[in-house]
Amino acid sequence: MDTQTLTLALGDATHAGRTFDVMPIAGDEPVLQVTVSGAEETPVYVTVTDTQILCLAYLFDEQELNPERLNELHENMLRISVPMPLSSLGKTGQHYVVYGALSPASGSAEIMQELVTLAENAIDLLQTFEDYLA
Amino acid sequence: MKSVLKKILTAMRGGVNELGEAVVDSQGNRILEQELRDSEQELKQAKHELASLMAEAASLARQIRTEQDNASKREGDASKALAAGQEELAREVAERIVGHERRAAELSQTREGLQQRIASLKTRVQTAEKQLADYRRELQVVKTNERVLRTTAQIDTNINSQQSSLSTAKETLERIRERQAREEDRQSASAALEKELTGADLDEKLKAAGIDGDQDAVNDVLARLKSKTNE
Repeated sequence: MDTQTLTLALGDATHAGRTFDVMPIAGDEPVLQVTVSGAEETPVYVTVTDTQILCLAYLFDEQELNPERLNELHENMLRISVPMPLSSLGKTGQHYVVYGALSPASGSAEIMQELVTLAENAIDLLQTFEDYLA
Repeated sequence: MKSVLKKILTAMRGGVNELGEAVVDSQGNRILEQELRDSEQELKQAKHELASLMAEAASLARQIRTEQDNASKREGDASKALAAGQEELAREVAERIVGHERRAAELSQTREGLQQRIASLKTRVQTAEKQLADYRRELQVVKTNERVLRTTAQIDTNINSQQSSLSTAKETLERIRERQAREEDRQSASAALEKELTGADLDEKLKAAGIDGDQDAVNDVLARLKSKTNE
């Protein structure tokens, strides 16, 4: 599975009543921005390497958070990460992200499932952790 | 060797996660890849050497057996010569026996040395295999880390060029709430429409005004029955 194949596969597919809007992100790396219908606010970014398909959505940046409640937030993020279906929480640069990795051998059904779950989890997480924003 | 995860984490906490000063930069990456290739090469050589040493040991064992077989065969000959009173011939055969036994002993010594080398080579192969697996895992961690850094940098650049800035979590939350409110409105509107189509809305209004069709019908029946009994 590469980003081109994925773009074509997602273009007119429906999964669990959702449609996908795919836009390539310009640059050296093959990155796609996928918007899932019904969860348009949290686009999912997809990149494909030889070892994994990495899907991630941005939650918030470090500077948006209340510094006094940072430890509490981290504790809660670690705890919620385990039971959350298919996705994990992480941080890259200043961004807190929710992400999921799939085998490059995954079919488009698995990838669509991942995209829908990730976008919904991102919305759920934002609303869950809203109180920690500065 | 310091854990590659620890190296990455240390560098990140030091704020070295900008592009261009990636933790294990492309130079480090090339070094790792070179180490991987060297390791693979060493493994291949060691395995090749091991195979030829094992073949040599097998051939030596065969030669030793031949010498031993010959020696025991000649012992029978020597006994026969002695029995026949051929002392001189028996001595000649005995000399051959000594020759076979000596060669067998020499060959056994060579084989012993060879077996020691085989054992140490096997250890080397195992070590190389383990190291190779370690390098591969490290390289994967380093490459994934780089990929994520490059990917997120690319996303940020792209979003920044489209909008004045990355939308904040608060803005996103606002948009989520607006959409959720729209969905709720749509749902209650369609529920209202449903009632209208089935006439349920009118029934509700009539009931609220004290006009209940069902209740009226019951009262009518009761009145009819009462008037019958009175007759």
